[in-house]
Amino acid sequence: MIHDYSIRTIFGAGALVLAGALAAPPVAGAADGEALLRSYCLTCHTEQGAGSGGLSRINEMRKSPEGWHMTMNRMQNMHGLTMPPEDKRAVIKHLADTRGLAPAEAEPWRYLLEQDTNRVEDVAEPYAEMCARCHSGARFALQRRSAGEWALLVHTHMGQNPTLELHALSRDRPWMQLALDETAPALAADFPLDSAEWRAWQAAVKPELAGSWRLVGHVPGKGEFDARMTAEGSAADGYTLRVDGRYLDGSRLSGRGSATVYTGYEWRGTLELDGVPMRQVMAAAADGAEMQGRMFRRDARELGGELRAVREGATGQVIAALPGHLRRGETGIVTIVGSRLAGNVSLGAGVRVLEVLSRDADRVVVRARADGANGLREVRVGTARGAGMLAVYDRIARVEVLPHNAVARVGGPGDAQMEKVRVAYRAVAYAAGPDGEAGTDDDIRLGPVPVSWSIEPADDDAAEADDHVFAGSIDADGLFTPGDAGPNPKRSMSGGNTGRLAVVATVAGGAEPVEGRASLLVAAPDFVRRVLD
Amino acid sequence: MSSIKPHRTAALAGLLGAAVLAAGCATKTMAPTAGVTDEYLLTVTRPGQLQVMDMQAHAILRSCDIPGKFGSGSIAPSPDGRTAFVLSNMWEDVYGIDIETCEVVFSAIQSGGDIRVKTFQSVAVSVDGRELYTVQNPVRHLPDRLEVLQPQLAVYNIADGLNAQPARTFPVNRRITKIAATATGEVILGGADVEAIDPRTGATRVVTALANWDRGPLWLPPDAFAMHSQGEHVNEYIMPYVTARFESEEWDFDAAEWWWGFSRVDLATGRAEQMEIFPLEFIIFTMVSDPNDRNILYGAFNTVSRHDVAKKETLAVEPLDHTYYAINISGDGSKLFIGGAGNDISIHDSASLAKIGSIQLPGDMSTADLRVARIRR
Ligand code: HEC
Ligand code: HEC
Repeated sequence: MIHDYSIRTIFGAGALVLAGALAAPPVAGAADGEALLRSYCLTCHTEQGAGSGGLSRINEMRKSPEGWHMTMNRMQNMHGLTMPPEDKRAVIKHLADTRGLAPAEAEPWRYLLEQDTNRVEDVAEPYAEMCARCHSGARFALQRRSAGEWALLVHTHMGQNPTLELHALSRDRPWMQLALDETAPALAADFPLDSAEWRAWQAAVKPELAGSWRLVGHVPGKGEFDARMTAEGSAADGYTLRVDGRYLDGSRLSGRGSATVYTGYEWRGTLELDGVPMRQVMAAAADGAEMQGRMFRRDARELGGELRAVREGATGQVIAALPGHLRRGETGIVTIVGSRLAGNVSLGAGVRVLEVLSRDADRVVVRARADGANGLREVRVGTARGAGMLAVYDRIARVEVLPHNAVARVGGPGDAQMEKVRVAYRAVAYAAGPDGEAGTDDDIRLGPVPVSWSIEPADDDAAEADDHVFAGSIDADGLFTPGDAGPNPKRSMSGGNTGRLAVVATVAGGAEPVEGRASLLVAAPDFVRRVLD
Repeated sequence: MSSIKPHRTAALAGLLGAAVLAAGCATKTMAPTAGVTDEYLLTVTRPGQLQVMDMQAHAILRSCDIPGKFGSGSIAPSPDGRTAFVLSNMWEDVYGIDIETCEVVFSAIQSGGDIRVKTFQSVAVSVDGRELYTVQNPVRHLPDRLEVLQPQLAVYNIADGLNAQPARTFPVNRRITKIAATATGEVILGGADVEAIDPRTGATRVVTALANWDRGPLWLPPDAFAMHSQGEHVNEYIMPYVTARFESEEWDFDAAEWWWGFSRVDLATGRAEQMEIFPLEFIIFTMVSDPNDRNILYGAFNTVSRHDVAKKETLAVEPLDHTYYAINISGDGSKLFIGGAGNDISIHDSASLAKIGSIQLPGDMSTADLRVARIRR
């Protein structure tokens, strides 16, 4: 029967508790990692194949640092392994370094590592219903295993969760048999233990990540910022961090913290940013020149934004123009962010720099007037160039509301157990490209724009139930806060404050206001906390 | 993933329940009257009590402690009505409890050594009252891996009493939930198909092909599932299912006809009828037949409803105060008892479906059964 009828394509769920631990560097010189594994794991695991160097199961799979973290949690919580936190960190670090994923293997699935959970995944057919209805499809795509280990994972699932085969979307098929006969072999082919990428990455010289970085990013409620981050190497891929910079409105930001690098490129930082604990999850490029990822609040991972770090070098670099757009025929202020910025400023064809309002080596603020055709311009300061960093446009043709599909969760007062899960919205504007039509491939991305935010019921049923009245509210910065948990006597069937909404962003400006929409599900609290969805 | 969320009202109801329970114990006793059949409503509540209820007075007569942790609360009454076999200890152990004395007269601890056994509601007693059947889903816990083993029917001699060991086991298919014993000596196995097994030889036969039915491409393979089955009053077993008939191979889900159907096994003969019974308009978790007219069915989940199987129609539907999982009916067909999921049993007049009473319980029923024991005096 269709009792549990929710097919989870969107996953947006429980808070992170332990994941922060990944950023604290493990103790220096963590004795020989393999020796540490043997001392803890051989109680239950065995020295098995002489060829593979032993350690049953452990040698047959590769995972992200968070993947190893989850496995270690299970060893502790379900099987009785005990170890002090510093040894746990050292074991996870050693496992991720020696049995990790190559950058290219993790690349398509980084959103999960970045804890960016408000997205609809596109999971390949054989896995969608079999494997990605309880958790993210990236959870297994971020692992590599031997064929035997993919099959043992099926046994682990059934053993731990014996009613699995009774759920809707399992009981309509011989689940266990299909999982063993079809899914596990497919996984072994798609996500094999042995890969050329991993062999190459193991052999590669890993980038050195200590030094000085320029950061650009976004903090919900505060906006875009640029900053300098210095990473001082301590031990075992651990770094001490200092971050100092400013938001686009000129206000300062500063933070101190630490970071650990796993598998030679997986950057995990934690810092107090103006008193707010934050986490950084980034991947370093193979040449160590850049890192890219996301920064979010440690206590509310849904509140975060993209983060990019560019290593400072001996010569000038242009990293970003904020905002990245100027309207034709209008005069506006543009902040050019970079490193060692010196020399003449140019914003490309048809854009006149009227005045340099302020400048130093990190930032040049100019007043400029745009003309010429719609399109992207190169930003230059002296010899430093930033291709396509400034968009010139005539009018905003469409607004994209991000995330497109989100899940908020009621919480708080009525239900002391779980915090509310909010959603931080952003509106990204586009101008029509050469074809003059909005919504086509040649649209020009203008970047985030200020909008006015509102919510509406998702459809007639939601309107009938007054979902827009009860399910929550959105503020001027686009932060949606759901209602309180618990029954609401004002609603029928003693329902709580859940609901289905449309989130609407409106830009005035042109002849007619332009609207962008996204859909939002305000759901019940999720009581399960996971390291990775 | 389906998960059972804690009920917000549990704490409050716990307090109310305690008062009801105390009153019940102090004042009510079963009054044996020769030559009549007494009916007792049975369910299980957290943290682990078998509740024996008076179906006339709508009150708890007795609360018997069940060994082990809560889960699942599946119940099989013995044919003489005196013993309730309850699945407990997180779906692992079966305890036979004398419903008049609360004495634990039978136990089967199914897990042992490195094998952990779960039973998904599958508990039944043979018609002669001598054998207990369970379907065991074993998993071997090795030091560094889990190994899922073939499920099996386990046959216990009830006379073995406490710590009984299986007298025989036979392999069965996966994903079996509710089972029932027939007068012909078979055990009905409710899974992807409805099958029957001979508990002497292990021979199985298909009673009703469901997952493996052959009705052509336009019929959606049925989603058949039974967490409860309460046909003791008419000696039958119902496996409900949902299916759809498509108009064409365009597979237009909106244009398809959606149906409830069932396989209804006559436990006297082991023969079943299978058919679509009424259109799918709302979710029903359990169905019972009317003892006076088996053409009439009642169903419960968020609503209580009455259906006419021959006309393939829903005759009436009324909202319930909250979600319930299980429904049962008095032997005379006059009253519906609706429980499971929460901590109250909602009692309805079967003719009007109007609510006529309720029984507050001291704890949550969750997945527990709601069954009727009949004792002839
Ligand atoms: C107390 C016993 C015990 C100890 C100690 C133990 N494990 Fe395990 N391990 C198990 C069991 C049982 C399983 C199989 C069930 C499971 O996967 O949870 C397992 C499975 C695994 C798996 C396979 C998991 C998967 O994703 O399929 C890995 C990897 C693993 N252990 C790593 C380790 C490491 C590394 C250590 C030492 C730091 C360790 N274990 C220590 C009992 C143990
Ligand atoms: C019924 C829900 C469900 C389904 C279906 C399911 N999973 Fe999982 N999966 C879980 C849960 C719960 C866990 C967490 C186990 C734990 O406690 O660590 C998990 C964990 C995992 C892990 C992480 C294990 C580790 O320690 O590294 C992987 C990988 C995984 N699942 C892959 C799969 C694949 C592949 C399939 C399909 C064959 C699948 N899952 C189907 C519920 C499910």
